[in-house]
Amino acid sequence: MLVKGVDAYWNPILETLPREKLRALQLKKFKRIVEWGYEKSKLYRRIYDEAGFHPNDVKTWEDISKVPTIQKKDYITAQAKEPWPYGDSLCVPLEKVTEYHQTSGTTGQPVYQPDTWQDWELLNEMWAYILWAQGFRNTDRVFIPFGYNVFIAYWEGHYAAEKVGCEVVPGGILGTEERLLKIKELRATALMGTPTYILNMAETCRNKLNMDPRELGIKRILCAGEPGANVPATKKRLEEAWNAKVYDHVGGTEGGGWSYECIYQPGGVHVNEALVMLELVDIETGEPIEEPNKLGKIILTVFDRFAQPTIRFDSKDVSMWGEACECGRTFRVLKGGIHGRIDHITKVKGVLFSPVSVEEVVRSIPQLGDEYELIVSKKGDADVLTLKVELLPEAAGARETVHPELVRQLRLKTNLAYNIEYHEFGSLPRYEIKAKRFKDLRK
Amino acid sequence: MITVDVDLKEMGQIIADIKQKVERLMEISGGMQCVDRNCDRILASIKMLEINISDVLEFLE
Repeated sequence: MLVKGVDAYWNPILETLPREKLRALQLKKFKRIVEWGYEKSKLYRRIYDEAGFHPNDVKTWEDISKVPTIQKKDYITAQAKEPWPYGDSLCVPLEKVTEYHQTSGTTGQPVYQPDTWQDWELLNEMWAYILWAQGFRNTDRVFIPFGYNVFIAYWEGHYAAEKVGCEVVPGGILGTEERLLKIKELRATALMGTPTYILNMAETCRNKLNMDPRELGIKRILCAGEPGANVPATKKRLEEAWNAKVYDHVGGTEGGGWSYECIYQPGGVHVNEALVMLELVDIETGEPIEEPNKLGKIILTVFDRFAQPTIRFDSKDVSMWGEACECGRTFRVLKGGIHGRIDHITKVKGVLFSPVSVEEVVRSIPQLGDEYELIVSKKGDADVLTLKVELLPEAAGARETVHPELVRQLRLKTNLAYNIEYHEFGSLPRYEIKAKRFKDLRK
Repeated sequence: MITVDVDLKEMGQIIADIKQKVERLMEISGGMQCVDRNCDRILASIKMLEINISDVLEFLE
């Protein structure tokens, strides 16, 4: 068989598989993992039995939506009991588990995530697809400016970079300035990090070390953990700050690294549909969405993760389908990556509002710093939006020209009015992992 | 883009053969951990080959 693109794709067969064949493969794998969950997990069996569902009910593509979804709270309810700490969510003997991770628990108790070594190989394989698609090769020296810990963040990036053949430099315990000096010393060629932190690193490099980050020799940066690398104004800032190509990726504890932006930068991320099934459903009705440009909620299934399967997981993340990419992959593209979470997309003054749209405005104005904070509060019965921004030191006197432009663009992009506060440069919080710039004080 | 001619069926067969060999190795190890634990890791890598190659073969015909 002739296989085209052994240099361009991690797996030239799966990544370019015709859609109808890809769907047939997905359906077969979907049925298998649903059967596994029902047979091996007390949690899934309970949910399915209570809904009157049996795995034999899945015969065609249309039957997929009959499978009950699973929520984060379902895992939590099933966990924190024997076999400790995974309880009824565990599908393999405890002695088969080799990896522990957990979710951040920002909404309460964290979800404990067990993986066997085989599961872990899968998660790293998923990331190998990501890295190859973004041009990481065995000629790269990858610096990871992040302290790995109980969260899954960048563990897979490290292992997958090794798998791809890169040389990996773990920059965990170092401070930002030490990390920058180490990048310079070792002549690293690639970075991974949250968009927020990668911007902060550039700022520190310029302001504290008097070095130009563009001269450090970084060629590619993988961003994850936040939507920024697919917010055009943020991507532009990142690429200009480092003189490097910046690529997005979306993933998480429950789903692994299930998507990636490729070097063609199609304005979104490819879903790795050979390894996962991603359903986009209407936020209110739950009906499947197949057409592009319509916001929906992501329901995710991972086909070959067995210790604690992810089957129709209600991710609460919101996105939309985009157009096909010219890279040749048949994997669909989620336009703009992740647009936010269900609990962040909220109505303000009666208007459906996504905080990411504010980021696009703030970072498109060159006189403003990278950081901002957005607060929604109540004054009487009225919603009040407060936006805190920083003027760059060299633009400290430009407030009178910046302000009308900021107001105009915010109105244009979000159809809302804001109280805008200008803060001293460097005074708003700086984040290393996930930024918390949006606060809804009405809740 | 580079195009190559590969025999995917043969690749699938070799993956199955390797798996069988490794499983046999575990059967005769007598429980030696230096064998079993390394075989376990090899089997995880073989699973990735199955996902990447073997699982898709039936859909290519």
